Amino acid sequence: MAIRQGLLALLSQGPRYGYQLRSEFEASTGAIWPLNIGQVYTTLSRLERDGLVAPGEQDAQGRVVYTITEAGRAEMERWLSTPVARSDRPRDELVVKLAMAVAAGADPRPVIRAQRTATMRALQELTRAMAGAEGPAQRLVLDSMIFQAEAEQRWLDHCEAVLAASPRTQETPEATRSPEPGSGPSPDEEF
Amino acid sequence: MSFDPVVRLADVTRVHGDGPQAVPALRGVSLDVVAGELVAVMGPSGSGKSTLLNLAGGLDAPTSGEVTVEGAPLSGLSARELAALRRRHVGYVFQDLNLIPSLTAAENVMLPRELDGVRARQARSEAAEILAEIGITEPGRFPDELSGGQRQRVAIARALVGERRLILADEPTGALDTPTGDDVLRLLRTRCDAGAAVLLVTHEPRYAAWADRVVFLRDGEIADSTAAPLESAR
Repeated sequence: MAIRQGLLALLSQGPRYGYQLRSEFEASTGAIWPLNIGQVYTTLSRLERDGLVAPGEQDAQGRVVYTITEAGRAEMERWLSTPVARSDRPRDELVVKLAMAVAAGADPRPVIRAQRTATMRALQELTRAMAGAEGPAQRLVLDSMIFQAEAEQRWLDHCEAVLAASPRTQETPEATRSPEPGSGPSPDEEF
Repeated sequence: MSFDPVVRLADVTRVHGDGPQAVPALRGVSLDVVAGELVAVMGPSGSGKSTLLNLAGGLDAPTSGEVTVEGAPLSGLSARELAALRRRHVGYVFQDLNLIPSLTAAENVMLPRELDGVRARQARSEAAEILAEIGITEPGRFPDELSGGQRQRVAIARALVGERRLILADEPTGALDTPTGDDVLRLLRTRCDAGAAVLLVTHEPRYAAWADRVVFLRDGEIADSTAAPLESAR
């Protein structure tokens, strides 16, 4: 989890209160990763334990300002300079679903089409959100989500083309692709 | 909303060739695009995307079914009337821009208006207005003195000049990089919000996502759409 390092990155800009860290974290990431205030304080106390941040005096309202330490800066820089391993990410349910549909002998094409339409809707929403994005950090986050949705669409198109060409999963010939004469229009139903 | 479409395709079929060699490019497609709407058409190569666009713009005629542009059924028009309608009401933006290299940006935009019989002076002022609106600050430059993104802007200005409300765009982001491609879509979106109807063919999901509605073509039929269907596949 990158909450630790995310908080360190914000603290590298100057001392902050816990509630400030929470709202800045959400503003930067476009609230795709909502934090509750409890997570922020738990993380801060661990950072304090590890010597990466130092708390100041409590003020009249009982609030504490946190400051990043030299060790904290080093940790943040180490994190920024280390690439994220793809295997650290969770398995993609869609990939498993499609593989299982094929393995189970079910027709994967309706799965592909339904997903493509759903992902396109999500992509449309992201594109609209982009128009209202505030600041470059939010735009980068939205861009990342747009590129990921785009990659999924391309992969789905690819799957459809590969499955259409594969005799095992092919129910009807693709009329437009098939070079042989007499392969009539495919009778499979559309949505 | 579908009451007054700028372009309507009603049960349109287009077959290339005849007899045993006949290849259906489009089969029973119905689609309306109203003013202010951006519709994207996606689909694999050979799914009929470009055929659909050519039919919508009167560049090709359907084998059966009817295409109506601004209330005029195209099948009832003479070749001359059709040419006039295409010139006055339809703007085309293609991947290979088709800007004339020996004319400046402004002259390229003026050209369709002058062909319409508009006086050079008026055509010039119309061109200056639309070029300024889309952010071309040096309309006296020639196409090869402009960047790819600027050239595409000029091509869009040319498609928009006059009273054209229907914009047909075939892969208008062609070889552009992503930020420049986004700019092109932002521009099309703005024109749409100002009342144009845009039909966009693209294979890039990123650009299709700017549309109000995305239609997926497959084997010449509408396989799916991201909106409550105004159209049906048959």
